[in-house]
Amino acid sequence: MIFKMRRSFHKLFFPLLLAPFLLRAQAPPQLPPGGLMQLQVAQPPVDVSSPVTATAGFDPATVHVGEKTFYRVTVSATESAIQWPEEISAPAELKFNATARGQITQFLGSNFRVFTSFVYEMRPPAAGHFTITNFTVDASGPQVEIPAASLDVVADHATNPPARQLVLETSATNLFLGQPFRVRVLLPVGPDHAIEALREIQLNGDGLMTDKTATHQAIEVVNVNGQLTPAFICELTVTPIAPGPLKFSAQGFTAGREFSGPIIIRGQVTIPGGPAKYVLLVSEPVAVNVRPLPARGELPGFTGTMGKFFFDPPHLSTNRMRVGEPVSLKLVFHGEGDLARFVPPAAPRSRDWQIIADPPPATSFTLIPQSDAATNTPAIPFSCFDPVTGKFANLTIPPLPVTVVGEGLPVQLAALDDETKSEAPPKLSGLAPAPGKTVSSLKPLQLRGWFVCVQLLPVFGLVVLWQWDRRRRFLEVHPEIVRRLQARRALRRVKRQLQKAFAAGDATAFGQLAVDALCIAVAPHYSANPLALVCGDVLAQLASADQNSQTGETIRKIFAAADARFALAPPAQADLLALKSDVEAVLLKLEEKL
Amino acid sequence: MKLRLFHFFIFLAALFFTAEISRAATNDYFTQGVKFSHAGQFPEAATAFAKSARGSPAAGTLVNLGLAEWQRGHAGAAMLAWEQARWIDPFDPRAGANLKFARSVVQVDVAQLKWFEAVSTWLPPDAWVWLAGASLWLTVGALVLPGFFRWRKAGWQQAVGALAFGLFLAALTANVGVVSRTNLGVVLKKDAPLLLTPTSTSETISTLPAGEPARLLRTRGNYFFIRTPVAAGWIDRQQFGLVVGE
Repeated sequence: MIFKMRRSFHKLFFPLLLAPFLLRAQAPPQLPPGGLMQLQVAQPPVDVSSPVTATAGFDPATVHVGEKTFYRVTVSATESAIQWPEEISAPAELKFNATARGQITQFLGSNFRVFTSFVYEMRPPAAGHFTITNFTVDASGPQVEIPAASLDVVADHATNPPARQLVLETSATNLFLGQPFRVRVLLPVGPDHAIEALREIQLNGDGLMTDKTATHQAIEVVNVNGQLTPAFICELTVTPIAPGPLKFSAQGFTAGREFSGPIIIRGQVTIPGGPAKYVLLVSEPVAVNVRPLPARGELPGFTGTMGKFFFDPPHLSTNRMRVGEPVSLKLVFHGEGDLARFVPPAAPRSRDWQIIADPPPATSFTLIPQSDAATNTPAIPFSCFDPVTGKFANLTIPPLPVTVVGEGLPVQLAALDDETKSEAPPKLSGLAPAPGKTVSSLKPLQLRGWFVCVQLLPVFGLVVLWQWDRRRRFLEVHPEIVRRLQARRALRRVKRQLQKAFAAGDATAFGQLAVDALCIAVAPHYSANPLALVCGDVLAQLASADQNSQTGETIRKIFAAADARFALAPPAQADLLALKSDVEAVLLKLEEKL
Repeated sequence: MKLRLFHFFIFLAALFFTAEISRAATNDYFTQGVKFSHAGQFPEAATAFAKSARGSPAAGTLVNLGLAEWQRGHAGAAMLAWEQARWIDPFDPRAGANLKFARSVVQVDVAQLKWFEAVSTWLPPDAWVWLAGASLWLTVGALVLPGFFRWRKAGWQQAVGALAFGLFLAALTANVGVVSRTNLGVVLKKDAPLLLTPTSTSETISTLPAGEPARLLRTRGNYFFIRTPVAAGWIDRQQFGLVVGE
């Protein structure tokens, strides 16, 4: 039994004992050069052995009725170690208003010492001498006694120096959600006119995000309450992250000459020597109104960038590439907004492209064509919000024309066997030197509408031919119709000539043409040649009344004049022209009978 | 009257010049395409030849378009262009040889033609229709015109009529073949999916190689129902090109 247990033990735990040899070594963390040096140099320890001490007092200790004063308690312990009471017993006249608390570390050469300050603002409503008695707080073990502090509130109007405070200024008070703005925390010179640095600056208030990486420090002469005074200025970038009215204040420790980071000094200032005196100061609260971004009009590609921006024409490393070959699309943005808070456009999705955004703050992209069907780079949607106009601005990167070359296919095949080796291996033809046979469309004529219409033309011709044949056969049966038609046609021609002769004053021609017209007009009734007809034939076609009337007389005169040309001495026929209207009337009558 | 005549001649001249400008532009694209091909810029060459062919389809232009597409690696588009070149000119040796070569490379079969479709490939499609029209009216003319014009009936007239009618019947079948061949096309994309239903989420029956010939049977939305030598199914419109275009 023991033997079996021993075997099981070996089976179970022997692999476990070998496991460490199979494990890979953990990769060392990548530390920056400065960080590595910091690790190698022994850091001074934090002083936790010294007894915890506490100070308390009013600043200022004497005020007028209603004047602001600060009750400040400083304990030499970390903030998290102190169990600070919710309420402090104090005279009923002293009402605690806004509170602030902060922690600062003091370097003492061989070690660090931590101080935590608690500040209460109050405005005593009545004169008198007030004392906050001593009390104890727990500092994670030892009980620390907070000493008593007294405040004298006087009713007279003597001028006392006011409580020292920070000044808070904002670059804008009416903002949009996410719109970064600058906040200046000013520490004017104290009563000794010496400039002091500020440390552990922080803003107290909800709905704000402070960017401590974009901090600027300066010493300048500024206008505080209408008075020019030198001040230490710390400028921060703050972004509202909640809509609505926001109220915030600033706090910070005075730090003597412990300036951290670069600082710009303008004008003459006095910087005190000696050890720093850490005093937690607060500012009056400042209110800003934060409006949400308009829901309507939001454009695609909005990344939260605020300001007025524009971009140079995008630059593509090459506009000719092979499938799978990466190219770089460089974008350069300019603007009036905060470029430090500029969020470049995100890489869109595209079927023909793989798009990789280069890591910020770069605004370029790496594009990889997936298919040679791509003829343009993809449009990259991007927009920003301009707080000045209150509108979104479209900054979409337009597509750029490109040529993507795919992999080619073989243009020649090798001969596979001996039989085909004797022949030339199959290959593609060369280019055609000319367009060659051309058609208007690949769609065949059979399916085109106009061709059907063209096919109707012969049908139409055939119908015309058939109608012509029918008419011809009809006229063959009825020759009188043909004669009348011919007579009408001839009559029209002669009447035109008659008109010309009358216009020319040629009476002889007029008479002859009148006779021809009369004979033509009656010829169909006799089925005879017009030349074979005489005056009597014409008269016979008139009604008997007409034969003896002016009409008949006119016809006789005309024929008589025409016959007179055969006389030896033809008479003058000038009076024939006077018969023109009568001749026309006769011809009209005869034409009606045709 | 003279003014109207003048306007008519102006109109005719405008038509003539427009046609000439269009032809010149087409020739320009063709020349550009040849230059690009010689320079090895096949995408640009394909674009130029495609523009030229769009303006006035020509057998030589389509042969060159096919060559440019082949060099780009677009076997389907190349084979479609050569099929179109053969549609315009069945006697073009380049198009025929290139199609044969391409089929051997991409391993696809020739389209299976019915007998009347095979007959219709003997002449260009437009020739058949003109032949049918001419032979029909020659037949009618041979029968009718002697009667109309009272010509003496002769044996040669009847012989011409009979011959023309025979020609008409032959051309008629070829015309049916031409119309039937308008449904032939080529798969354009490599590994184009043949779908069970005309939907984007459809099950795939099989994939078709580029250049595979197929016959269009019906259309629904963005999909064609096609029959290939091996299967029938739906294919995306973008992945199938008809020889005569859509």
